[in-house]
Amino acid sequence: MDLHYQESHRPTRSMTYLEAVKTGLVKTGDFRGRASRSEFWWNFLDYLPIAPGLVIVNFFYTGALSDLAASLGNGLFTTLIIGPLLYLLVFLQLFLFFSFTTVTIRRLHDVGRSGWWLLLSPTVLGLLVIGFFLYLEGESSKNKYGAVPTNAPIEASMGEIISAIPDNLSMSARSAWIGRERVLAVFAGVFLASLVITTVLAYSAGLSGAFLQFSLQEEIFDGKVDFAEDPDPDSEGRTNDSTLWESTCSELIEMEEISDCGLVFGRQGVRVNGFFDEGGIIPQPLNAVGATGTIGDWTNVSWDYPEAYDSGPPINDRRTIRFYGDGIWDGDLGERHANRVIYGSWPSSGEEASANRSIILPSEIASKAGVGVNDTIDTLTFSYTYDYLGFASIATGFDDCPGEEYFNQESGYLYCQVNMTVYDLKVVAVYQEGGAGNPTLLFNPIMVSDSVLTEDQKLTLMTNDHGYLGIAIDRNELPASSTRAATDWLDGLKGDIEGVNYTSGNDIMIEYNDLISGTIGFLNIFLGIISVFDYILMIPIVVLSFSVLIYGLVLSLEQRRREISIHRVIGGTEAGLTSMILRELAVVGVIGWFTGYLLAMASVPVVLDAVGFMAFERSDFRVVPTLSGLVTLLIFMVTVGLTLLFGNSRTKDFLSIEIDEGVRRVATRKKSRLWLHLIIFFVGILSFLESWIESNGGLGPITSSGISSNFIVDGLLFLFGPFFLWIGGALVLGRIGAAGPRIFTTLFGWSPVLADIKRGLKGSGSSESVNRLAIILLLTLSIVTVAAVQGYTGTLVDERTTSAQTGADLQVQFEEPVSQQRAMQEVTLAIQRAGESEIDSIDYVTSVGDIFTNQKGEGSLLRTWILFEGHENTLQWDEQTIPGDDIDLVSAQWSSFGFTAGSSARSQLDISTKDIGSNTTIEYTSYSFGGLDSDMNPIITTTVTAAEITYMGGHRWVPGLQSSEANQAIVIGEATYKELLGQTAVESYTSNRWFFELCDETQKDCKDALKTLGVEISNGVGVASSSNWGTNHEANERTGGLIFGTPGLLSLQFVVASLASIASAFVFLSLVLSQRKKELAILQAIGASPQQVLRLVLFEIMAILLVSMGLGVILGLAISEAFNGFFGVFGFIFQIFLGQSAPIDRDLVWPWTELILVNASVLVAVVIALLFTTRRALKSDLAIVLKGE
Amino acid sequence: MDENLVILEAKNMYHIYESLSLEGNVVALRGLNVRINEGEAVAVIGPSGSGKSTLLKCLGGLMKPSSGSVSLGGREMIRMTGNELVKLRQETVSFIFQDSNLLPDLNALDNVAQPLRHQGVMPGPARAKAMELLEKLAMGDRWMGMPEQLSGGEQQRVAIARALITNPKLILADEPTGALDPITSREVLELFERLHKEESVAFLLVTHNRDVAYFCERSLELRDGRFVAQHGTDFDMADLSDTRELIIDETGTITLPPDLLLKLGGPGRFDVPDADRDSLKLERVEDEKIEVTSKTIRVLAPTCPACNHDYSDSTDQLCPECGSSRPMVQA
Repeated sequence: MDLHYQESHRPTRSMTYLEAVKTGLVKTGDFRGRASRSEFWWNFLDYLPIAPGLVIVNFFYTGALSDLAASLGNGLFTTLIIGPLLYLLVFLQLFLFFSFTTVTIRRLHDVGRSGWWLLLSPTVLGLLVIGFFLYLEGESSKNKYGAVPTNAPIEASMGEIISAIPDNLSMSARSAWIGRERVLAVFAGVFLASLVITTVLAYSAGLSGAFLQFSLQEEIFDGKVDFAEDPDPDSEGRTNDSTLWESTCSELIEMEEISDCGLVFGRQGVRVNGFFDEGGIIPQPLNAVGATGTIGDWTNVSWDYPEAYDSGPPINDRRTIRFYGDGIWDGDLGERHANRVIYGSWPSSGEEASANRSIILPSEIASKAGVGVNDTIDTLTFSYTYDYLGFASIATGFDDCPGEEYFNQESGYLYCQVNMTVYDLKVVAVYQEGGAGNPTLLFNPIMVSDSVLTEDQKLTLMTNDHGYLGIAIDRNELPASSTRAATDWLDGLKGDIEGVNYTSGNDIMIEYNDLISGTIGFLNIFLGIISVFDYILMIPIVVLSFSVLIYGLVLSLEQRRREISIHRVIGGTEAGLTSMILRELAVVGVIGWFTGYLLAMASVPVVLDAVGFMAFERSDFRVVPTLSGLVTLLIFMVTVGLTLLFGNSRTKDFLSIEIDEGVRRVATRKKSRLWLHLIIFFVGILSFLESWIESNGGLGPITSSGISSNFIVDGLLFLFGPFFLWIGGALVLGRIGAAGPRIFTTLFGWSPVLADIKRGLKGSGSSESVNRLAIILLLTLSIVTVAAVQGYTGTLVDERTTSAQTGADLQVQFEEPVSQQRAMQEVTLAIQRAGESEIDSIDYVTSVGDIFTNQKGEGSLLRTWILFEGHENTLQWDEQTIPGDDIDLVSAQWSSFGFTAGSSARSQLDISTKDIGSNTTIEYTSYSFGGLDSDMNPIITTTVTAAEITYMGGHRWVPGLQSSEANQAIVIGEATYKELLGQTAVESYTSNRWFFELCDETQKDCKDALKTLGVEISNGVGVASSSNWGTNHEANERTGGLIFGTPGLLSLQFVVASLASIASAFVFLSLVLSQRKKELAILQAIGASPQQVLRLVLFEIMAILLVSMGLGVILGLAISEAFNGFFGVFGFIFQIFLGQSAPIDRDLVWPWTELILVNASVLVAVVIALLFTTRRALKSDLAIVLKGE
Repeated sequence: MDENLVILEAKNMYHIYESLSLEGNVVALRGLNVRINEGEAVAVIGPSGSGKSTLLKCLGGLMKPSSGSVSLGGREMIRMTGNELVKLRQETVSFIFQDSNLLPDLNALDNVAQPLRHQGVMPGPARAKAMELLEKLAMGDRWMGMPEQLSGGEQQRVAIARALITNPKLILADEPTGALDPITSREVLELFERLHKEESVAFLLVTHNRDVAYFCERSLELRDGRFVAQHGTDFDMADLSDTRELIIDETGTITLPPDLLLKLGGPGRFDVPDADRDSLKLERVEDEKIEVTSKTIRVLAPTCPACNHDYSDSTDQLCPECGSSRPMVQA
């Protein structure tokens, strides 16, 4: 009988419901083979009610869990444990969906159709076609998907099937644990991938959060709650009872989103429909009008505040005042206010505020008036708005205006404002004025406890619409995943708040004015670009983790060769063995994913706090980054899914060799495409050269625009080149790395020590796994190098940018030109006020003089800056700005009649590099007024003095001064200045701008002290403004002297890649060595002593490692250079957004210490791994090893 | 013999290993024929390198012979694809090797249960059956031992239990006692014998060991990839000549074992003076008997075989009349 002949038949019996469901469950994920109609339709009937049912159950389940999470608070436990639990049922749903899809695909196979037809299912037509296929009777003979289904029931009860799942899983877990050495690489790959992907996504979310908080730090109130309708005798939902109005707060606070609320008397109700509605500018705040007191000089105080017009719509240009109810002083709102207080302290409660009759002043008012904490104010007068007239009716004027008329020139409205006075206030705190925030509430008001108002006054204010509720929302509740989500959330909040009638306030209807969504909206695009940049930056490390995964997979499969053949002998099918291996991979993958996920979630807050390279500093922002379920699922799919996918294809390859050939034949080795690697490498090298040439201003005949001057080509090269260089370099150089032993023997072949080894090495030839080890090491070490170089460079760029911006530790600008003595006096006073131990006196002080000269014989004026002797002690010069790189030398030249010129000045003087050393004469013309002549014309005598100066070269900027101005200026020394203006010019010199050297600004203590001092000095007498190194550096680090968020990511990359290189060296070595167990045993068997074997292995591996590591570092340095262009492209985009230009070029700085440290630890780890594994390989029983398979 | 009772039959089986050595590919099996009946125990003896392991793998369906046919349980295996083959193997044969080849990650019980798990049996019933077998083999109290914790004999007993769990009709064993001490191996063999007798399991054993071969009904002598002879139950491993029955297969091939060849006086040419039914006599040919008597001379044909054209003295190669080519004929 010919058994190959397939009879034409269909299954003789159909499946019962239970059989069908069982089969469906058991065969989940097994797309091979066919399913009969009964099997499919029973499963269909089963799935139909379960799918929506689970959705409903899930709704309640997640609801209950969310409540639990809410009651536990937003801690680590919630993030790590409750978070994943939330998706439990989702996973079940996915599994059932997957299971049902499997049955469907097998059913399609039964009618001879491919499973890919399912892709048509989203369309109606597709559904009909698929439905028709599913309905058809299956083919009655064997087809390409397998034999006719038998409908044989699974011989197991449902209970057994379910109990078999944990059994299978525990078997897999057990075998994974026993074979932990071989699965370690797989684990490491998944773990790394999960860690990095989760981190970068959570980091991005956290960065949005942190950035949001940073941008919102100017905002104290998140929302302003007004009555929904204008004050009118017949308007609804209003009250003039301030107590009743305040009590609405208690209802608002009950909302989960709102954390604090309080009554404020201030700006009138804002009711706006649409962008052009003038309702946004008509409502007026309360304005301070005057104050009296026994202490201080209130006549000195100006109540105008024109800055308000500069930073917002034309609402009001006078100092505003707010009266705060009880709700504002404590809670979140109290805390936010308190953060800005510099003297005194913010009242901790409404009672305290009212008991003291508290008033809190902006620092400018306090310093002008000369009052401080605990000083009293006798009267404070302010105005409220009684009525207003639009442009059309201004001519008519007010019918009755009990107060004064105020015409707002910008908006064109005429207001009637009435004064009101409060008495006996006590200054309890002075706060630092902040920058412009949302203009709705106007900026930097005087704040007073509302208890100083009489009931009548309150009623008047309420009647005139001046009472509103200030809201703080719980900013941690703001979705941080995207700004879009945040704005949506805020819109929802507005709807929620406005949709309710507040019963405690007698059916009050309110309008909610959101104050922060505008800020968030602006961030949207910007944060998008940052995220993209961050994602791109993390590509290498993701690629690295996947290559660790793949190589680990291959190695671990090879380790299981014997086990697989045993399974094959005892009847394992290809499918069975594949699923066995995949199950184990799945177990390892899930554990790896979860570990990575946990670690990432725990470490993101730390990474977010990284300010410079490897400097993790606690920031002021508490961010709890969360990932949405979808994103978490996506990460899971990518990491575990890819593991299974790779595992599946590798296992298939492996098993097909094993099963078809029966015996181990030389596996057909894929010929690696060297030419492809070389092309990739070549493109990478091009990008390196381009970046190098551009940063070095040309090479030979090539100008500084580089090989290609096309912007697009350049951009593409800079974006992709580094990655090409990285991958191509690793592949090409990996070969050299693997040839390490040969290189070493050729180099040191003369040494007798090596003679022994040389013989041993013959024929041992570098195996493929050794090549892989070399590639992995190249990949990791180049990432380590790139991260270290770019991170370190970035940190220095931030510092140098700050130095270029500030010029010195402290730069003070006075309102009038002052002498050095006067400037020092004011700063010394500020130092005493600040009382920081780090700064007790001024170390050095200098200024940069500013005069106009002209070149002899030329009429046009030349801006001339003068550097005084000893300027280099104070000014922070950078070698990028001066000719040459020695500031002392350049300073000496300046003092001896040398000069430098900015780029515009160079063209004005018509000098270039070749004129260095040549002399030119400049003239200074002084004018003196000699009274009036007989015709009443002023007599002006002009004196022209000249000085001959020597051209030293170009400067790019002068520290602390605008680089655009430095372009037009020439810089001369003190001696030249004296020759032009006379010997006494220096003594009588005065200037608006003075620079101070106070402490070592790179020290953290000094930075903090400078920040405090900066605040103090800006309140000094006659001081217009000041900038200090500490504050500027902080701003540069956080908001991008370079690019947002990179310090944290680069630090993370550095740490992760360092650990990865150490770990992969360890894991791969032990795998490689246990593969070579046999070779080592043979060596021993033919008489090599253990020491000799050890020496041989040590030499071989160390040679590979040393060469690979060296090449890795070199590759990393090249990639860093290539990446510079990449950073430049993104830096350019960011600068467009920020509207600032950092004068500093991104010159790479090599952090040799860090690199040496990492490389040394890799070496140490490798040596330990080597000794450990080799010893074990040597210890194992020779006979058993040699007996082989 | 009844056709249905044949459990394993291989016909004219060749196997060639591809090799890159100077001598070219290696022929491991050369036209080998074997038939094993149900419940029969057969030993294969032969020197190392004679192709015993290859034979076992080919017979068990672990690899495909280069040519020839193998049928297991009456089903031809050569054209079978992966899964069908595995299924057939699951149903009919089990393997036992010299080193027990236990799965290192599993304990004794799971090792034994594994073949059933591969057949899709749920873990519960599979373990129950495995336990039963282990107890039968006096390994009941060692079921949780990991392979490295078991002694050689224990390991082999676990391997035997594993081989038995699928109720095979045939057990292929490669040196089953090779790694065991004499006492243990005797125990194992007793076990084999019991199985053979009580369960009527067929055995094909590859062995060097006389004791192993002892319980088999017959022993086949394998040399250079071909069965040269067969022995009965009682033979001397050291001197096979006494019990040897030479095999002449269907293709008429006969291979002489080296000792016989030596006795014969080395390779040469033989006359067959006496070839009767059931008897063959060979006589060495001493002299060169066959001589070249004449040399045949061939000339061009004088006439065209197609049209009878007479070429006479011409040396034309083609017939001028009909165009047919001119043949050579014996002079």
